[in-house]
Amino acid sequence: MQATPLAITIKDLYKQYPDALTPALAGLTLNVRENSFTGLLGPNGAGKTTCISILCGLVIPESGQATVYGLDCKKDKVAIRGVTGVVPQEIALFSNLTGFENLKYIGRLYGLTDKEIKQRSGELMERFGLEKHAHKRVSRYSGGMQRRANIIASLMHRPKLLILDEPTAGVDVQSRALILEYLNEYRQNGNTILYTSHSLEEAQKMCDEVIIMDEGKFVTTGKPKQLIKDTPDCKTLEDVFLHHTGHTLRD
Amino acid sequence: MCSCIIQAIHYGTNKITKGTVKKILATIAKEWLLMRRDIAGMMLIFTMPALLVIVMSLTEEGPFKDYQDMRFDLLLADNDAGSLAQGITNGLRASKNFHIIDSLDGKPLTEAKLKDLLRNGNYTSGIVIPRGVTAEMVNAANIIANNLSEKMGLGNAFTVRPPRDTMYVRVLFDPDAKPTFKNSITFALDKYITYTCSNMLINRMGKLGNATNPTDTGVRDLKRVFQGIGIREVALNEDKKEQKQFINSVQHNVPAWAIFGMFFIVVPIASHLIRERKEGSTLRITLIPHVQIPVSLGRTIFYTLVCTVQFVLMFCIGIWVMPLLHLPSLYIGTHPEALLPVAICISFAATTYGYLVGALFKTANQAMPFGSFSIVIFSAIGGIWMPVELLSGVMQRVAMISPLHWSLAAVNGIILRNGDLHDVWKYLCMLLIFGIVAWVLSTYISTRYRSVQ
Repeated sequence: MQATPLAITIKDLYKQYPDALTPALAGLTLNVRENSFTGLLGPNGAGKTTCISILCGLVIPESGQATVYGLDCKKDKVAIRGVTGVVPQEIALFSNLTGFENLKYIGRLYGLTDKEIKQRSGELMERFGLEKHAHKRVSRYSGGMQRRANIIASLMHRPKLLILDEPTAGVDVQSRALILEYLNEYRQNGNTILYTSHSLEEAQKMCDEVIIMDEGKFVTTGKPKQLIKDTPDCKTLEDVFLHHTGHTLRD
Repeated sequence: MCSCIIQAIHYGTNKITKGTVKKILATIAKEWLLMRRDIAGMMLIFTMPALLVIVMSLTEEGPFKDYQDMRFDLLLADNDAGSLAQGITNGLRASKNFHIIDSLDGKPLTEAKLKDLLRNGNYTSGIVIPRGVTAEMVNAANIIANNLSEKMGLGNAFTVRPPRDTMYVRVLFDPDAKPTFKNSITFALDKYITYTCSNMLINRMGKLGNATNPTDTGVRDLKRVFQGIGIREVALNEDKKEQKQFINSVQHNVPAWAIFGMFFIVVPIASHLIRERKEGSTLRITLIPHVQIPVSLGRTIFYTLVCTVQFVLMFCIGIWVMPLLHLPSLYIGTHPEALLPVAICISFAATTYGYLVGALFKTANQAMPFGSFSIVIFSAIGGIWMPVELLSGVMQRVAMISPLHWSLAAVNGIILRNGDLHDVWKYLCMLLIFGIVAWVLSTYISTRYRSVQ
């Protein structure tokens, strides 16, 4: 049987921020399969955001290697950004522009034509329930609407790999359901999704595969059901998570 | 740093594609939308410099008028009532700068009253003509005439006595009077005393022996005789149109404070850049490939245009609003079209400096005080507050490092010296080099340190 190609490979990544006592990543190694919905899980300070930042060229590691679709994250970051959509934790939009104006500007920067922008933004806004609010300023959106708009902005150029850093944090149940439904649909269209979340229930439900990391290192990986089955005395993914990462507070 | 410069050159040579131009235009459109929605910010950008230009022109009107068009009250206590006093009074009265007050409430002004008025601060200067000063002048003229008469073998013609050295026309000033003001009054007095003495001398010489009466030859009118000799101010560039305006409050303050206002755009630009970084929209741009340079160019072009509009607006105020406030209209030289490229170069330097400050500092609390203080310092040493010529020698050399000085020198080259672009190219090059260095540095810092860790 032919092995599924890898979308992301990470080997022995090491990153220490200036003034930090411990490294953010201490020899992290992991793989993400193409056309998968992978959850990157870990307690606060585990190094999830640093890992994502290295993948999109925002952080330069001290050592190790990371590739996206075979492209090196240090040398080919421009090419990687062309095939990757990143949804950051914060709302990375111009708050004084309307939702549509944001998408129009971002689309133009991606080199889309005005016709393509109109079509793509229209279909995404409708899909995310923002079509009636397209001409409202982002600053006047609710928290859930801002989260949805933030995701739409990362989808304008139809990326093959979508990386989301806690996309459902602080949103209501309806918005969360809509976001997760779309992400599942997007993955089924042949794309790859890597996302981080503190909601293990959500990860258990959505992910084909989860990767648990702690203190900058890989801990374990597998399908959620398999991990639950393989870990003694565990009934949920949360039990597995606590089994591997412990109960000590990390803040 | 090198990669940033190479990238910029790369764009400048073969990467200016239709797509890049579209990205630049998209950024300009985005900045316009953001500015339009920040009404308070837009008002500050345009109204504050306009207010500054008007207020400074009005408040500095006095100091600039000083000794040119101003009319000063000058107290005169005449204890002599002779021809010398007459000569001084007539000369001062004929001058447009002095208003002679020699009587109050219908009574002639006395020396004691004059001193009282000066002590009370009611007036700034006064002249006391002592009794017998005209007699002293006549005696001095007679002595000279006798000397000449003796040399010509005619013997003494006039009765004389030994000259006294106590007959001075005394000038009194309020202690607050500036030295230059004192000088202008003493020079004027000196001139009229010399003129009256010369007239007296000619009068006495005319009475020697059989000499013809000077009245008959017209020699008595010294002004007419010496009208071809003296001082007359002419235009510096004789080959160009004659200068119509010399430095005044409007000519100095409108360009100077317009430039200050343009450079003050550093504050909104820097805080705008930091806000975008904080709210995450800069991160969004960073994640899009091949857009750093076009976005940076688009923002620079937009704010350069805003500053240029600011400059045009300030000059329109100088030309059309100042006369409504009883100030002279701004004279813009014989090559006003040269002001547009000058304004663009100044705007480019101001905008890129704003981006550099925004890139250098992490928070608005750091960037805003630095940005505003640095502009105040650059303006103080650059001749914005007062013409560079009035600064000390050391400070005049220090002024050469201020981009505000280059800006003002370029504008003055056009509007005061009737120059064109050839006359100010040196300053424009300095502004452009400053702008390019600031742009490359800010783009490098933003790319290297503010978006990547």
